[in-house]
Amino acid sequence: MADQAQAKAEQRAALAVTVPQTIDLRKRPRIGESIIQTVLIVCGFVSIFTTVAIVYVLFQESLAFFADPAVTLVQFFTGTVWQPPINEFGVLPLVNATLVISLIAMLVAVPLGLGMAIYLSEYASERTRGILKPVIELLAGIPTVVYGFFALTFVTPILRGIFGDVVSIYNMLSAGLVVGVLITPIIATLSEDALSAVPNSLRQASFGLGATKWETAIKVVVPAALSGILAGCIVAMSRAVGETMVVALAAGAKPNLTWNPFESAETMTGYIARISGGDPSYGSMDYKSIFAVGLLLFFITLALNIASRRIVRRFREVYD
Amino acid sequence: MSRVRTLAALVAFLLLLPLVAACGGGTATAPTTAPAPPATEAPAPTAPPAPTAAPTAAPAPTAAPTAAPAPTTPPAGGALIELPEVNPASVSGNIIIAGSSTVYPLTERMAELFKKDGFGGQITIDSIGTGAGFERFCKAGETDIANASRPIKKEETENCAAIGRTPIEFRVGTDALAVVVSAQNDFVENLTKAQLADIFSGKVKKWSEVDPSFPDQPIQLYSPGTDSGTFDYFVEVIFDKDPQPILSANPQLSEDDNVLAKGVEGSPYAIGYFGYAYYASERSKLRAVKIEGVEPTDETAESGEYPLARPLFIYSDAKIMKEKPQVNAFINFYLTYVDEEIKEVGYFPASDDALNEARQRWLDAQK
Repeated sequence: MADQAQAKAEQRAALAVTVPQTIDLRKRPRIGESIIQTVLIVCGFVSIFTTVAIVYVLFQESLAFFADPAVTLVQFFTGTVWQPPINEFGVLPLVNATLVISLIAMLVAVPLGLGMAIYLSEYASERTRGILKPVIELLAGIPTVVYGFFALTFVTPILRGIFGDVVSIYNMLSAGLVVGVLITPIIATLSEDALSAVPNSLRQASFGLGATKWETAIKVVVPAALSGILAGCIVAMSRAVGETMVVALAAGAKPNLTWNPFESAETMTGYIARISGGDPSYGSMDYKSIFAVGLLLFFITLALNIASRRIVRRFREVYD
Repeated sequence: MSRVRTLAALVAFLLLLPLVAACGGGTATAPTTAPAPPATEAPAPTAPPAPTAAPTAAPAPTAAPTAAPAPTTPPAGGALIELPEVNPASVSGNIIIAGSSTVYPLTERMAELFKKDGFGGQITIDSIGTGAGFERFCKAGETDIANASRPIKKEETENCAAIGRTPIEFRVGTDALAVVVSAQNDFVENLTKAQLADIFSGKVKKWSEVDPSFPDQPIQLYSPGTDSGTFDYFVEVIFDKDPQPILSANPQLSEDDNVLAKGVEGSPYAIGYFGYAYYASERSKLRAVKIEGVEPTDETAESGEYPLARPLFIYSDAKIMKEKPQVNAFINFYLTYVDEEIKEVGYFPASDDALNEARQRWLDAQK
């Protein structure tokens, strides 16, 4: 008691004198602070742990698939028929359909998204931009299952009206077009960010040399922002590769090795969705095969992500 | 200049306003539709599983007296065995059912009626295919009743025995597989089983190869997925249980009959097959083909004349029926009223003998 009183008195005296002492900010370990720190560390590790666990499960179940005597790696990558219940394990038809649909999607999304981005960053006034940008982002918020039914019940009948009966009810073109619409906002927003980041001095210099607004946008600003634009396109591409609901609903459920977009063909994600929907029995070839396909899909998107980082580094132009 | 610009921006804004509103509306309506299923599921926890003990006693005494005279009227000259009446309101608790997608609509209808007549508990029915249904009934042991569109297999019975269950088979009706083409198809009237085998194995790729009078167009195949009992049954009848030919023909496979129906509807050159119930509900856009000259109708399915007819079953176990009186009551209700309802669902009633056998099994399970 006495000690405390004395200490208080001393404190008061110190305050009264107001001697400017240097306070060591570090040496005040507060409990609240360390709790927060621990929570943050746990948060970080949870995300790492989840990723590791997913990869582990994918590898483990795929290993069971490849360990099956009926499966060989060569057949898996070169076989042209995919029908696991009867020991046909050529994954090419699924990969091919995924590529065709993603390509169609990119053909739609790159011009559309890039056009939007150029308009937004170079032409639109501040106010239009403030309105348009959220609207485009809203487009990205529509559930993909809605896009899927849009493809099946709206786009497909139109295609059949134009091209006739050569277009199957379930076809890759319809799915590809709609996936294209789905990923357009990704390309638009990412490219717009890249274009806006180009310093204004470049534009002014271009105008100073007598270039028009169009020439400035196409010949100066877009090349300067190329790395960002390409990275955006690749992010969109990996989104298209992984898209599931649209292809499951609109592209059909038939592994089919064809480049004809009017035909129906099942993608990797579509296959996984279909088999999971059928409640396959644990340990069956159907069950194990979805993990093998999932692993391949994982590697494809991983490769795309690595490519996008490389491109950003390679084409980056640093100003100022 | 700046005035023009603000004006333009204003116009753009006004034009976009309905768009934004529409999108807003879209996102607003989405959540309202989403919570609907949970709302219907909500009563589940409120259903009190408490008074299960009391009702057990209730139906039992009524069962005893009526059960007694039943064996005295053997299933002879078409007279149906009468089951003791149960009051659905007197039992409660949950009933878990899973299995065949073909039996699903029938069981669902019976469950609806059972609830309408006063059953306050919850009935869950999963449409996951016959094989998966037996897996959950016999391996996991999590279901009370398994819906099946084929008799139980030997290894499935063994699985059941391993967890102490003895499956009892109750015949509830007959399903005919309908081989369907689009309503736009005006050339196929009748197919033989051999022709079906050729078509669905990909041995013939064009309609003109089936019959020279048919158009020179590629055949598009639609088939239920490999987990469904419908697929098993078709393969059994047409390909002698070997799925190799049909899968190597690479048809469109889907566990969802609506996907198949939509696909077949879409092209005059498509052909598919599924349960007769789905055909009945899509009759305006699809047409069933005669098989071996026989059209799928009540009479031909019942008499076995139609080559693609198959029995429908539900399976349970005497021990479950004793432990869960609501399951016992539901099966009784099912067997009593199934004949009145089955046509509404699109299937055909089982023969009197088969139904009598099922009812007798229910009575035997009470002992």
